[in-house]
Amino acid sequence: MAKIQRRGKTGAAKMYMTRTHAVRKLQVSLADFRRLCILKGMYPVEPRSRKKANKGSTAPASFYHAKDIAYLAHEPVLRKLREHKAFAKKLARAIGRQEWFDAKSLEAQEPKYRLDHVIKERYPTFIDAVRDIDDALCLVHLFAMLPANDRIAPEVIENCARLAAEWQLYVMRTHALRKVFLSIKGIYFQAEVMGQSVTWLVPYMFTQHVPADVDFRIMLTFLELYQTLLGFVLFKLYTDENLVYPPPLDQTKDAAAAGVGAFTLKEAEAGLDIPIETPVQEAKGVSAKDVRKVLEGIEAPASTDGAPEEAQPESMAEEVDELPVEQPSKTIPALDGDVEMDDSLAPSAPSVNPSLFAPFIVYISREVTRPSFEFVLRSFGARVGWAPTLGSGSPYTEDDERITHVVMDRPQIPDGAIRTGRHYVQPQWVVDCVNKGRILPEGMYAPGQTLPPHLSPFVDDEKVREMGGYVPEEAGGEVEMADEEEEEEVLIGEDEADEEEEEELAEAPKAMAKPSKAAKSAKALPPALVAAAADPSDASLLRAAELEAEAGGVSFAAFQAQLKAEIRKAQKTAPVQQRKKEGKEEESMAKIMMTNKKRKLYEKMKYGNEKRKDETEKLERKKAALKKQEKRLQA
Amino acid sequence: MATAVARASVANGTKRKVDDLNDKSDGTALGPINLTLSDPEESDGEESSGGEEEPFPELDLGSDTEEDEEDEEYDSEDDIEGEEEEEDDEDEEDEDDEDDEATPESHPRAPKIVQSDITGFPKKVYPEIDAVYDSDSSTEEDPNRIGNVPLHWYDDLPHIGYDISGKRVMRPAKGDELDKFLSTVEDPTSWSTAVDKSTGAQVQLTPEELELIGRLARAENPDGDYDPYEPTVEWFTGPGKEMTMPLTSRPEPKSRFIPSKWEHKKVMKIVRAIRQGRITPHGPVTAAQQPQYYALWSTADEAEASRRPPPLPAPKVRLPTHSESYNPPKEYLPTDEERKEWEDMDPEDRPENYLPRSHDTLRHVPAYEDFVKERFDRQLDLYLAPRVRRVKLNIDPESLVPKLPSPKELRPFPVAQNVVFEHPGKARVRCVSWSMDGEWVATGDERGVVRCWEAEVGKCVWEGTFGDQPVGAVEWCPKYNFFLIAVSGALHLVIPPFLPPAQRAAAHTYCTSAFATPSAPVPDAPKWTSAKPLLADGHILTVSVPGNPKQLAWHAKGDYFASVAPDAAAKAVWIHQVTKHHSQSPFRKVKGTVQLVSFHPKQPHFFVATQKYVRQYDLVNQKLLRTLTPGLRWISSLSIHPSGEHLIVGSYDRKLAWFDLEMGTRPFRVLRYHSRALRSVAFSPAHPLFASASDDGTVQIFHATVFADLMTDPRIVPVKVLRGHEVREGLGVLGVRWHPRLSWCVSVGADGRAVLWAN
Repeated sequence: MAKIQRRGKTGAAKMYMTRTHAVRKLQVSLADFRRLCILKGMYPVEPRSRKKANKGSTAPASFYHAKDIAYLAHEPVLRKLREHKAFAKKLARAIGRQEWFDAKSLEAQEPKYRLDHVIKERYPTFIDAVRDIDDALCLVHLFAMLPANDRIAPEVIENCARLAAEWQLYVMRTHALRKVFLSIKGIYFQAEVMGQSVTWLVPYMFTQHVPADVDFRIMLTFLELYQTLLGFVLFKLYTDENLVYPPPLDQTKDAAAAGVGAFTLKEAEAGLDIPIETPVQEAKGVSAKDVRKVLEGIEAPASTDGAPEEAQPESMAEEVDELPVEQPSKTIPALDGDVEMDDSLAPSAPSVNPSLFAPFIVYISREVTRPSFEFVLRSFGARVGWAPTLGSGSPYTEDDERITHVVMDRPQIPDGAIRTGRHYVQPQWVVDCVNKGRILPEGMYAPGQTLPPHLSPFVDDEKVREMGGYVPEEAGGEVEMADEEEEEEVLIGEDEADEEEEEELAEAPKAMAKPSKAAKSAKALPPALVAAAADPSDASLLRAAELEAEAGGVSFAAFQAQLKAEIRKAQKTAPVQQRKKEGKEEESMAKIMMTNKKRKLYEKMKYGNEKRKDETEKLERKKAALKKQEKRLQA
Repeated sequence: MATAVARASVANGTKRKVDDLNDKSDGTALGPINLTLSDPEESDGEESSGGEEEPFPELDLGSDTEEDEEDEEYDSEDDIEGEEEEEDDEDEEDEDDEDDEATPESHPRAPKIVQSDITGFPKKVYPEIDAVYDSDSSTEEDPNRIGNVPLHWYDDLPHIGYDISGKRVMRPAKGDELDKFLSTVEDPTSWSTAVDKSTGAQVQLTPEELELIGRLARAENPDGDYDPYEPTVEWFTGPGKEMTMPLTSRPEPKSRFIPSKWEHKKVMKIVRAIRQGRITPHGPVTAAQQPQYYALWSTADEAEASRRPPPLPAPKVRLPTHSESYNPPKEYLPTDEERKEWEDMDPEDRPENYLPRSHDTLRHVPAYEDFVKERFDRQLDLYLAPRVRRVKLNIDPESLVPKLPSPKELRPFPVAQNVVFEHPGKARVRCVSWSMDGEWVATGDERGVVRCWEAEVGKCVWEGTFGDQPVGAVEWCPKYNFFLIAVSGALHLVIPPFLPPAQRAAAHTYCTSAFATPSAPVPDAPKWTSAKPLLADGHILTVSVPGNPKQLAWHAKGDYFASVAPDAAAKAVWIHQVTKHHSQSPFRKVKGTVQLVSFHPKQPHFFVATQKYVRQYDLVNQKLLRTLTPGLRWISSLSIHPSGEHLIVGSYDRKLAWFDLEMGTRPFRVLRYHSRALRSVAFSPAHPLFASASDDGTVQIFHATVFADLMTDPRIVPVKVLRGHEVREGLGVLGVRWHPRLSWCVSVGADGRAVLWAN
């Protein structure tokens, strides 16, 4: 006899489990279940049929794979959570009985879970972990900036700040930074680590607005996971770089707001303290390697221009002499080793030049946020000094002769502060240089200048153009400019044509008292007239057009003239329209033979394309209007 | 005496108040003030308890009468209240007298006979008994007899309850809120007053009571004299109290003198555990010893970890575009309308969660308000949003459109209006038919008029009116030049007079030869009669059929034809033979309403379409061959390919189904392209074309190639949409028919026109 099939024992009913069911099965509170889901990376799934998965009920529910839940049941973290529940009861009892000694000894034994195995499970290989640290970095950078309060412990914030600094140190050391973008939300950074693009967003240095409806329990659970993840990732990255992790922190420097300078990167075997940047090292002379490195730094942008690479080095070498590098250069010894390292890492994009700012000594003025810009500049090889108000430990003072650039964000350079041999630039210059991969002329970015638009480096303009999206003039270069001009011409052409017609119309009705008025009325052509002109044989249309003209107060002679002109125009355009119409009809007829599924997909894609086109057109229209306005202002 | 005074004050509220005060001044009463009116019964009880033997022989009677009296008194309470009072006063006086004279115990009271004012009969009135101070009732009785009911039930009444004799206890006078306030201000003792619940009066609490309350509030023993710390009295211990003899004579066991073995074992277990380090004073320390971070991804255990596939990686956040820049190109900045539109939109519907803004320098960029919120939303997405792997199609939508040959290559097919046959009066033209030679077109309209037109000229050459009902069908015979007209209840055979005489004669002979050899009449069968009332010139004969025939279908050889009258139920379908003037109904019973019938062009097969199914019958073997299920709701039209192997079915639910009869009972293709119901479909007899006419006012022409190779599917290519008919009252084109030889078609519409479409 066949086995009896029971309802809810096979298929979707067995494969999925609602959240309530899962919570009941695991015997945990909802909060603990949430914590487990966050830590283990469990997410709900969408069953094919909700009704089948929910045993016939259509009540809203979120579903999990039953196997996922069964898997959670063996989780060591779950066991620890249960232990913690028991511990909390014991502690509460001891405190309630005022047994302080017991409470103290209990507290020392508080069960704490470790997340090592969770990290290993979620990210079986190191690459997986690196691929997924975007969110971790964002959150850690955010918490590093939040103030401690009753919800967020100061230790957490301290740890976040530390992790953020360690990450930045690593990126600076390996010159892994690729793109920077100043957005209205914060500063986006993109680095390339182990061949993976890691993007993170750092808020601007202000007090963050914390909305009341944000559940900090969830955020802190995520943060707990992310801290562990980042710790392990950084450990691996540092050890791969032959560095000691965690890097020792100098408390006194940290207290004096030295930022990343408070950390010391220590080589593992040598056991030698090698501060990344100390004034001591600047005393060293220029090595041949340094020069070569500088040369390489300058080569890269030149190669992007498409010129033969062999020819470049010589000519550039001459330029190098002119560049303000002749001061005792102080490339860090650690960096010497890095040159090869960088090669091995092989930055994929040819435009990226990790030693872009290597020849420069940049001074950060006090109104510029130091941590972000110090990070960017040093990632690209610059040596950085800063105003004493931005923290201690600046290797250069403002009077230092060797300073080549001053990053300043003031309406104008204060009187008497200008020194010759220095470039004064706004912060955007740094970022634009990084994104363009070459040193841009500083003049455009001088303090007080109207800055050129800052474009996102994450947009692939070529691809956007292929897809029919809008590429701004600044990104598209000449090609786009030409397009714009053409369009302009087309527009002008149309205008002219209109004018011609108007003239014709004005001439035709000689009996009319106010020809200009007629022309105006013709401008907004009545619909019936157009229809009648398109199909002159149709008497009813003609009649409608006559009635319309009568209602509009147009004399019969004028109407006749209008009609004639319209018919002429319609006939002129008719063959073209006919062809277009035929093509359209053929296409719509071919659609008859499509299957329903394909037709739906087709309609959806068409809709998407249409929407994108609209968006592009809107931006183009706006741009044209802006240009027109500009022209008018110039005239 | 106090009770007596109180009793006296029952009737008069003001007086009683004074009395209460007197009570207090006396300092006798502790607790509720006694306002009882003593009762004769009570006094009886008291007396009996007092041990008086002497019975009251009249007690029963007296009490009865008194009860009656009392009842009556209640009935007419309001009237006699004054008198009652008087009586009471009298009683009191009497009692006082008696009290003076003798003790109550010693003299039983005799009832006084009084004439009742109400009934007029004499009644016994017992003197009231004064419960003296030490009697039980005097102190314990609650003067208000309403029991344990909330006092607010009496809120709306002038009294607050009833005394033992059922008389109402009046509400003590109560001052208003102002009085209350003034009393709190003026009276220094007002804080120590309380409301007596049973009387509703304010009672001044005595110092003893206050102290009692204070003790209870302090959770002390209410008894002030109680001493919780009395010295204990040692009854059994102490010198001089030793027992001289033991309780048992059993000798003391040894275990009382030696240390416990089990205790020792237990202690040693712990000691060993401590020595071995299993017990540490503060729990295991192993967890803390592990380093916080270590090389997690060592190569050794990489394979081990892949027991279970890791969760799907979360999709990354979309990277910012130019519009998010702090200084974007100007065209990205929103106009006022765009800004308003964005603000009016629901936050979930917004394409971007920010509005582009422009700042001239970096120092002007403020903090982003929603930063924390966005991070939080992202986290919610990470653990609450279902994750699905979706394949993104990156193809050109045009590649989805099937590649069909261009209509230009598939010519000829009708493309334009050639001739328009205008029907006078704009009557809806229901049916149309081509003559066998393609020179004439017959149309039938809704007013029962049938017209013949010269096809290429558009001239009406013949006209005949067959009743005032709509013409159901007009069908030209495929063999001889005559046609059939289906109108309500009859089929008319017409040989049009404009034809050449030779053709007419041939047709006439063909149609009327059977009159010479009349067959035996079959009951219920349609009758073939020569046209008696000649309805039109050329009208030859009439076949009477039941119902309202809607369709006629000729067999290819021109001898048989079938008629369908859907409203005639079982007699809906008739097959007629022209040469024998014989009609028969092929079905005894029909499942569903028959909509259409058709003969197979080559084989003796017959197709019958009901609302939802098409059935194919073998007429020779008289059996059902197959049932086709087009999946349409209501079949409107049917046409068979000249090869007989394909079938198209049009429906009122806007669909057209193509059947390959070799393939099965399901349609090969179902097409939906008309926006309204399909009215007619037709295969061209000479060309690989078919047309469908619809209520949307269009005729759609398809090129349909049928291949001899069984493996190749028919190729259907839409080639032309013919527009020209107007839609009137929801009806568009009602019929379409093909020229027998050319690629022309004629369509008829609700706008009173028949249009010849030619290439």
